[in-house]
Formats: sequence, C-alpha cells, structure tokens
Amino acid sequence: MKYRSLIIALVIVLTPFVIGITLFLARSSGRIPVKAHLSADTRENNGGITYKGIKVDWTFYPDWEYKPLFWRAEKYLVFMFHYTNTNAHDIVLMPSYVFVSPGNRRYSANEEISMYIEDDIERTLNVADQTPITFKLSPNAPKHYIVTFEKPHKLKQFYVDVDIWKDASLRIYYRKKDDKWENYKIKRVNKYVGRG
Amino acid sequence: MFKRIVKNFGPEWGAAVMGTAALCITMQLSSEVARPFSPLLYIGLGFYLLAVVMFIAFFIPWTLRFFMYPEEIKKDLKNPIRGNFFPTIPISFILAGTGTNKLGPMLFGPSIAYHLSIVFFFLGTIGIFIFGFLLIREQFLNENIHLEHANFSWFIPPVSHLIIPVLGVCSMDVHWADTGLAPVLFIISMIALGVGSLNFLFVGAAIWHRYIYHTIPQGRLAPTIMVGIAPTAIIVIFLIKFVQAIEASHGTLFGINLISIFSLVKITASILWGFSFWWLILVAILLFTHYVKIKNHPLEFGWWAYTFPLEAFTVATGLLAQCVAIHFLQGMLLILNTLAAIVWIIVVFGTIKWLESGAFLNPKH
Repeated sequence: MKYRSLIIALVIVLTPFVIGITLFLARSSGRIPVKAHLSADTRENNGGITYKGIKVDWTFYPDWEYKPLFWRAEKYLVFMFHYTNTNAHDIVLMPSYVFVSPGNRRYSANEEISMYIEDDIERTLNVADQTPITFKLSPNAPKHYIVTFEKPHKLKQFYVDVDIWKDASLRIYYRKKDDKWENYKIKRVNKYVGRG
Repeated sequence: MFKRIVKNFGPEWGAAVMGTAALCITMQLSSEVARPFSPLLYIGLGFYLLAVVMFIAFFIPWTLRFFMYPEEIKKDLKNPIRGNFFPTIPISFILAGTGTNKLGPMLFGPSIAYHLSIVFFFLGTIGIFIFGFLLIREQFLNENIHLEHANFSWFIPPVSHLIIPVLGVCSMDVHWADTGLAPVLFIISMIALGVGSLNFLFVGAAIWHRYIYHTIPQGRLAPTIMVGIAPTAIIVIFLIKFVQAIEASHGTLFGINLISIFSLVKITASILWGFSFWWLILVAILLFTHYVKIKNHPLEFGWWAYTFPLEAFTVATGLLAQCVAIHFLQGMLLILNTLAAIVWIIVVFGTIKWLESGAFLNPKH
C-alpha cells in the first residue's frame, strides 16, 4: 500500500473513534454541567406504594436539562423508578410508562434521552439502570429504571401511569404549586383482566 | 476525472454506507451493557457522522450517473450481480433515518431528529419499492439470466424491503405513537415486511438450487454469502422494535396487545436469531475450507458485503438481549461489536488498496 493511501485509510478509520472519545471526554469532564434539581425521592419519606409484594418508589427531576450538541437545551421530566420485591420468590417485571397531560394528551417515554442522561443519573443516585424490556427481580435486591418524558410547554399538572401489575397500574399525580412540583395523589387503577 | 468517477460509480457503493451506518447502532447498543462501555455511545455518534458524510459524498455521483450515463445504468440493471446493489442507496436512506432516530436527538434534539428520520423513511421506502419492481421485472423478462448467475447478492432486494419496517416501528416508538402517521407507518411497514420475507424465501430457494446443482460462485462473489445472515437478523430487529413500539403505545397498538404477543415474539425472534448464527458459522466454513484453501478470494469492493450483515446480526443480538438470555447475549453483543469494528477496519483498508489498484476505473461486469 502506498504511503498516501495508508494515511487516507487511517484517517477514515480513526475519525469515528477520535470524534467519539473527544465528545465523551467533553461530556464526562463536567464542561457541559448537568442542570437538574431533585423534586422528590419517595424512598426518603416512605412515600412509595406496595402491592402484591412489589414496592415501587421513584425519584423525580421535573426539569432535567439536556443540551444537544448543535441545538438549544430543553428540559425533560425524568423519573427513576425503584422496584423492590418483598416476596420470598423471584418475579419478572415488564413495566411500561405513560405520561398524560391535561386534555388527556398521552406521551410515551423517550428512550433516547434516557440513554444519553443515563450515566449522569446513575452517578447522581449511585444506582444502575435496567435496559432490558423485561427483568428478574429477586427478593430485596432493588432494580431501577429511568423514564424520561418530553415536557410540554406551560405544563401545570400531569399524571404518569406505571403499568406494572397484571391487574392494576400505579397512577402518580403531580401539579405545580408556588413554582414547585407537588405529588398530590397516588392511586392504584384496577385493570379489567377478564375476557370479552 | 470527475466524469470518469461518475461513469464508473457503480450501484454497489451504498454498501459502504450501510456497513458504516449500522455500526452506529451496534455501538449504541453495546454502550448500554454497562457503564464502562458508555464511550461507545459517542463512538457510535462518530460512525453516524462519518456515515452521513459518506452518504452525501456517494449520493451525488450515484444520482448524477442516472442523468449523465443512463446507458451505464441500463447495463448495470441488466447485470445479474451488480443490478441487485441498486437498492443499497435507498437502504442507506433507511439506515440514516434509523441512526437519526437513535442518535439524532443528541445532535439537534428529539423533534428535529424524529421529523428528519421520517423524511428518510419515505425517501428510502420509495427508492426501495421502485428498485424492487425494476429488478424483479428484469429477472422475469431477461432471457440471459441462467442458473450460474444465482448468488446471494440476490438477497439484497428482499433485505431492502425487510429494513423498511425497522425504521417504521422505530418511528412509531415515541414521537409518532398516537398520531395520524402511526397507521400509515404501520401499513407501509407490514407491506414491506410481507414482500421482503416472502421474496427472501423464494429467492433463497433459487440460490440454494444453484449452490447444490451447479458450481458455487467464484471467489470474487464469496462475500455475498454473508448476505444470507441479514434477512432473519433484520426480522429479529423488527420483532423486538415492534414490541417496544407496542409498549410505547401503552401496551396496545392497533389492537395488538403486548402481553399476548410477547412470548411468541421471544420464541420466534430466538429461532430466527439462531438461523443467522448458524449462517455465520456456515460462512466461516465455506470461506476457510473452500475459498481461502483454493486461494480464490481476491480483494474486491464486494468485501463490504462482510460488514452490514454481521452488524445486523450484532444489532439483533443486542435487541434480543433485552428479552431473553440477557447476560449470555450481552456478552455475545460485545464480542460481535468488536468483531464488526475489526471487519469494518479491514474492509476500509482493503477498499483503499482496491482503489489504489485502479480497479474502480476498470470495472468487471
């Protein structure tokens, strides 16, 4: 191979690695600071809910700011759910999440943003996020799951449905009061599980 | 010089974009395995940016050739090998859209990324269906296609259709879930899945027939055997992404319930993944016990066929790891991702060497 060709090939091959490592170092060095304030962690005041031996807690960041490389920063509603199995046996979980704003507008969780901010949240809370769709929960070995929602403008209240049990889902209500987000209600919504 | 480049810019160049673009997804999935692998997300972004640059650089001469040298296009379309590579550029649209869907929010936020990936979806879909019809028409009407022409590059048109639903369901996942576009994406995806999966079986039988009852292709076509990994691997990707789209649509999408299909999807996806894995071993056996042994494996642009199918299998492994045998498949994902990156590096060096030899300006038809 000629010297010139070798240089061209090396430049092509190294480009993605150089870009990637540079961006990673820039993000993790703290030059792009994490802007988020904690609103609530139900583990601190035992504010979670237990049903059928599954204890659900959550940590809520109402304005987690994420700045894309070439675009303005936007704020997201970020939850980290903590699942603990208080039964004597293993169980398998397959939770799903829906965000509902006034007018019954439903939003799905944004997996991409969760993926980008995962390291920061894991570092902040010192826990590891679960990536599988379904995961095994052993007794008293909590597992954690990051859920991010795009934040509609001028949001004043909302609720999040956590579909976790076969016959019920957890509904968490939030509203803004004195510029602070308040978890004013938690409800277990029963699901129809019969035929027809 | 530019005119010579345009004249000889064959349809196969999209394979290089495919082989680079898919690495951004394998890297992204690998980054999720554990925190020490987090830098791979950004390396994936590097591959995405490189793939976009390659895509733009290749799309210009590829398009100009249609207007400046239509006779060359006709010649390539009639060629039973080269003709099948035409869909690689429309596939690149779909892969660019998939990369934009997954990594675009990191560059310009979710809204722009999801809108842009939808544009890629429709452009890619139109291109894939147009070339799909052109190529099948050519295969039916061309009297000069014989048994000895059958080779695994014939899988590219079915693969091109199979890849449409991957971006279709990725797009239904978040932003377009619950919108008027979701049923459109669903129907287009299902049509493409039907065309791709059934054509894969029909074409596969024709190629199988040649491999059994005739000689196997010469060494320069050896990399095309690798394409056989892709169809089932892509169906696995579709199935898992479809489950995620249903999950994102609050557990029910068009009346399809997540709980009721998840077990079936896990079984089907595992079986199809197994077939791709078996095919990967078959490729290694054929390569080393035949082509390498008889020293008939020349350096060609066609080596790019080693990249994308392996990467598609890597993505399938990473996604299947979200449903079954988590630790085993995550381990395999990391090994396959490393292997895919090594193969890509070798192929880049090989391509530069191949260009240096002047073969690009003197193509063999």
